[in-house]
Amino acid sequence: MSADRISGIFFLLLGLAMYFVVNPAYIETVEGGSLNPKTVPNIISVIIALCGGLLVVKPTHHEVGDLRNIARTGFYSLLLIAGLYAMSRFGFEYVAPVLAFAIMWFIGERRPFWLAFGAVGMPALIWFLVTQALGRALP
Amino acid sequence: MVDLATITAGFGDAFTPFNLMFVLFGVLLGQFVGAVPGIGPIMAMAIAIPFTFGLDPLPAIAFLVGVNKGGLVGGAVPAILMNTPGTPDAAATALDGHPLAKRGKPLKATKMALFSSVTGDLFSDIVLITVSAPLAIMALKMGPIEVVALMIFAFSILAGLIGNSLIKGMIAAALGLLVASVGQDPEHYTPRLIFGYWDLFDGLPLPSVAIGMLAISEILRRMSLAHGNVKSGIITDGSNRPEDRRVSWAEYWACRYTMLRGATIGTILGALPGIGSTAAAFMSYAMTKAGSKDPSSFGKGNLQGIAASESANSAVVGANLIPLLTLGIPGSVGAALIISAFMIHGMQPGPLLFEQQGRLVYGLFGAMLMANFVNLWVGQLGLRFWTKVVSAPESIIFSAALLLCIVGVSMATSGLFGVAIMLIFAIVGYLMSTFGYSLVIFIIAFFLGPRFEKSIAQSLALTNGDLTQMFKSPVAVALLVLSVVSFVYFMRKNAEAEAIDSKT
Repeated sequence: MSADRISGIFFLLLGLAMYFVVNPAYIETVEGGSLNPKTVPNIISVIIALCGGLLVVKPTHHEVGDLRNIARTGFYSLLLIAGLYAMSRFGFEYVAPVLAFAIMWFIGERRPFWLAFGAVGMPALIWFLVTQALGRALP
Repeated sequence: MVDLATITAGFGDAFTPFNLMFVLFGVLLGQFVGAVPGIGPIMAMAIAIPFTFGLDPLPAIAFLVGVNKGGLVGGAVPAILMNTPGTPDAAATALDGHPLAKRGKPLKATKMALFSSVTGDLFSDIVLITVSAPLAIMALKMGPIEVVALMIFAFSILAGLIGNSLIKGMIAAALGLLVASVGQDPEHYTPRLIFGYWDLFDGLPLPSVAIGMLAISEILRRMSLAHGNVKSGIITDGSNRPEDRRVSWAEYWACRYTMLRGATIGTILGALPGIGSTAAAFMSYAMTKAGSKDPSSFGKGNLQGIAASESANSAVVGANLIPLLTLGIPGSVGAALIISAFMIHGMQPGPLLFEQQGRLVYGLFGAMLMANFVNLWVGQLGLRFWTKVVSAPESIIFSAALLLCIVGVSMATSGLFGVAIMLIFAIVGYLMSTFGYSLVIFIIAFFLGPRFEKSIAQSLALTNGDLTQMFKSPVAVALLVLSVVSFVYFMRKNAEAEAIDSKT
């Protein structure tokens, strides 16, 4: 199945789900006024569903490229999510060096100088810029 | 009309050592990040915006203008030295810049890029300063009905021009509008699509969405491409002959018509929403090559090729602000980021901006002019250094950029909730670009969404719910007809392209 058909089906379903399920459940009904809060989201949902359907019928020749790259991006996304979760528990000061080191290591960096600079120097620079120079709090 | 006293006061505000310092910082940062393949001025601006919160509006915007302009000059460095453009619009520069560098003249190539970039940029800034105030006066005559029609027209142009499919362009625009509808509705102020998260009551935070979609998604994409390969091939050694390390006045003057043509193309295309600087650079390059007495020398290190590309792509930046300042419609992602910075600092782009904050607007113009000269100065001194910057490993660039994005968004949104939204939009942005949906259209639609809905509500209130009243406004009718024409035109164009594509 072509990439456009896959994304077309997704947007067709998204538009329908928004129109029939999400918008009625998560937008309050209001009496009076010139424009109901549901009107614009409903129109947009219909447009998304229609365009998604059209894309299924008439896809372009777009290709998504190497699936291994998408899988790698998924892995890096998970790494970031884990880092963010850890930051919410332990704070930026402790997690940032580990996260920076992990990112550099997985990309393939093995030179000790750059690893040390990325894992210690950069977070320290950011700490100095934010907390000392700007007087703001780190996450 | 803005009076002369306001104009001089605005320029007077800009030309202070304090603002000059922020312009200098911005240009330095812009040239630095532009020279690093994988970051670029757009990502740098997205990261820098939250760090300007504590500043007054003029130095903050002067800083961001410096980043944007500096980034264009810096973007040419990796294009010339590595044949890897730091920014997409520098791709045309690589066509002649890289061969010239390979012939042992990397400094000559980067200096020609610098001079033509500053020339094109200055040209478009002068046009912007001259035409924007009269255009804003015309725009002031438009009511909500005309604004709705204008936005529909802008969307029809954007959806058709960006990307290879009008349908996908429409989906990207609709998705941007849908995401913009999260929060309170503009008429009744009731919560809408917030799913119980009251942090979303004021809408999705602008920095989270913009940085997630533009910066993080791009970093994620480049990280997956760089996986296991952190080295880069680079040309930094060159000839030691003085004439190979500089651009003489005679060489610069010989390119004057090329730069004028490039700057004109860039200014015209930049004033139209959606046509990016990449298109301007390639169009200018193609026209220069076609008009040359020696077209075979192009692609082999011709200075005219570098001048054509750089003057055009830099001229787009100033001209991009014409629809932004006069109509409140951003014509590019860079302009959309500047609009978000304006809004954060209390400026509401659009025709009323000249009337209500004329002094600040002319302060911005002053900062833009300053940034051109600072760009030239910093570029002259810094080019040798930027050639070293491109050899920095991507691994450290990506990890540092990610940490800066997390910290920047956390500061802008007061917590990690905004960072979580940023990550969600990073994944959405990555998937959208992977499947061929334009992030530019999405972001512009997201920015315009609330104003679009508000204008519809005002139009309905004015016409007592009778939308046929729209047809009594000749401007609205003309814009709607133009929208239909552009829609049909792009549908046919796409169909023709598809037909050619399927034959080959």
